[in-house]
Amino acid sequence: MSSFLQSLLDPKKSWLASLHMKTLTNRLRKYGLRYDDLYDPYYDLDIKEALNRLPREIVDARNQRLKRAIDLSMKHEYLPEDLQKMQTPFRSYLQDMLALVKKENAEREALGALPLYQRTIP
Amino acid sequence: MANKQLLSLARRSHKPPSSFTVVRSSSSAAEEFIKPPPPTAMIYDRIAHSLKSKLQKLEKPDIRFLKYGSPHPTQSSHTHILSLPETKITTLPNGLRVATESTSNSRTATVGLWIDAGSRFESDETNGTAHFLERMIFKGTEKRRSEEEIENMGGHLNGYTCREETAYYAKVMGNGVLKAVDILADMLQNSKLEEGCISRERDAILREVQAGEHTEEAVFDHLHSTAFQYSPLGRSIHGAVANIKTISTEHLHHYIHTHYTTPRMVLAASGAVKHDQIVEKANKLFTKLSSDSTTAKEPATFTGSEVRIINDYVPLAKFAIAFEATSSTDPDSIALMVMREMLGSWNKNAGGGKHMGSELAQRVSINGIAESMMAFSTNYKDTGLFGVYAVAKPDCLGDLSFAIMSAITKLAYRVSEDDVIRARNQLKSSLMLHTDGTSPVAEDIGRQLLTYGRRIPIAELFARIDAVDPSTIKRVANRYFYDRDIAISAIGPIKELPDYNWFRRRTYWNRY
Repeated sequence: MSSFLQSLLDPKKSWLASLHMKTLTNRLRKYGLRYDDLYDPYYDLDIKEALNRLPREIVDARNQRLKRAIDLSMKHEYLPEDLQKMQTPFRSYLQDMLALVKKENAEREALGALPLYQRTIP
Repeated sequence: MANKQLLSLARRSHKPPSSFTVVRSSSSAAEEFIKPPPPTAMIYDRIAHSLKSKLQKLEKPDIRFLKYGSPHPTQSSHTHILSLPETKITTLPNGLRVATESTSNSRTATVGLWIDAGSRFESDETNGTAHFLERMIFKGTEKRRSEEEIENMGGHLNGYTCREETAYYAKVMGNGVLKAVDILADMLQNSKLEEGCISRERDAILREVQAGEHTEEAVFDHLHSTAFQYSPLGRSIHGAVANIKTISTEHLHHYIHTHYTTPRMVLAASGAVKHDQIVEKANKLFTKLSSDSTTAKEPATFTGSEVRIINDYVPLAKFAIAFEATSSTDPDSIALMVMREMLGSWNKNAGGGKHMGSELAQRVSINGIAESMMAFSTNYKDTGLFGVYAVAKPDCLGDLSFAIMSAITKLAYRVSEDDVIRARNQLKSSLMLHTDGTSPVAEDIGRQLLTYGRRIPIAELFARIDAVDPSTIKRVANRYFYDRDIAISAIGPIKELPDYNWFRRRTYWNRY
């Protein structure tokens, strides 16, 4: 069952999934963002912990991309065409670390210990 | 065709650009050359790639490191260490008990006298005599100066006074044991206790009393004085200041005569000692003490109460919450020891950090609500105290109190097998690690003989600890914690510490 779902969601196998990926690529490319830049550390504390563990250069590049996109959005502009052609929206840097953090938290919960951090509603 | 060759040539010689240069091309034909940079172009991509390979290595951990470690506490068998050297006990005709445990491979020994007398056996007027006497006994006898003689041998002479016992012991080399017994006997029977020494010692004690007003011991002194108010266990060990100023030689001699009697004493030795030699020496030396075995002790009553001394000028608040617990001879005292390990202790230097086994320690460390916290369980002859002592900054006292009370009350409702096994293993190892060396062993012998009348063999102790399971914990917690009065003592900036009714309400839950 899960492999059927996986083949539905896999861009290489399903036309719909690849259409979704192409659309996302076009949109992200216009602002010069990567898909992993959209993960919000305020939304999920696991993302915050994963970003804390990533090396400084990766997090700096993420922040610069986000600043550039915010600036373009404010000016109601898109990235210049030649830069848009160089974008790689689906090059990932966060997914592995995020999976590791979630796995560690799941193991901690399975052993019956209290979670290291909990979301508080400000 | 030629165009195609040109294009392919150009593509092959296209080098990856450095971090700061951008491939820009103004001609329209060259726009097709603009491609996304390869993953090795930018430094953050290179680092991300190497990180990915490192994280993938974590998927397959090395089995060698997982072979002996397991996050689940397991019960293991300790039979190979339970056959420890036997404690030989002889009771002399005058009532003195001589107990030795000789380990043949040690070259040092500790020999000492443990006496069943302490601040509990005084009255209000004589409060402080036991402690004063213990200090004075070291000052010299008619024939010799005890401290000097022991130091000449290269040994250490030490003593302490508790509420229910007093001890004098000497750590010496193996060949000095008999001389140490001689010196100890002399100290106890022939002490000079002259006036000049007394007045000097009085000043020293008064200074110490003043200096110790904000320490951990002060919190515990206040806790005892409020929990056991109007009863002898409530009196502090060093006595009231007025009493210290009026103690004289007759008081001290009277105390020796009434309380340092041979049936209440144990001569304990451990290390490179031979039982028969010590028995012989003790027989010859301990002749001048009275053999009266009456121990006139008032019963101790526990009163649920609190004492708070607010002082906003110190940085940290220290408080202790205690329930009335069992006497040391009650079988439930072992269950209380296991529960003490379940609550555990934590301070900022603890190696376990946020990953300790006790839920209270985890809650305290993850939320950062205390500087240190410690569960304690003390037992006296007919009563005891069980509780938690914590040091915290003034602003998190509410959260800390909630965490402490919910952890204690939870022991009466929900106890998991894992926690109990972990606590049992921790208790066993802490008992064994503590009695590691000749002095702790001698102290253990002395105290056990005074409280239990016999030395509990390790096999029996371990069996009693293993008999504690989750249902026992729940039963004992229901007996001692569920809806029972508590005693609180707090000093420091304690304005935010909740009031007594708040704590008392949280000794039970309405959920069940």
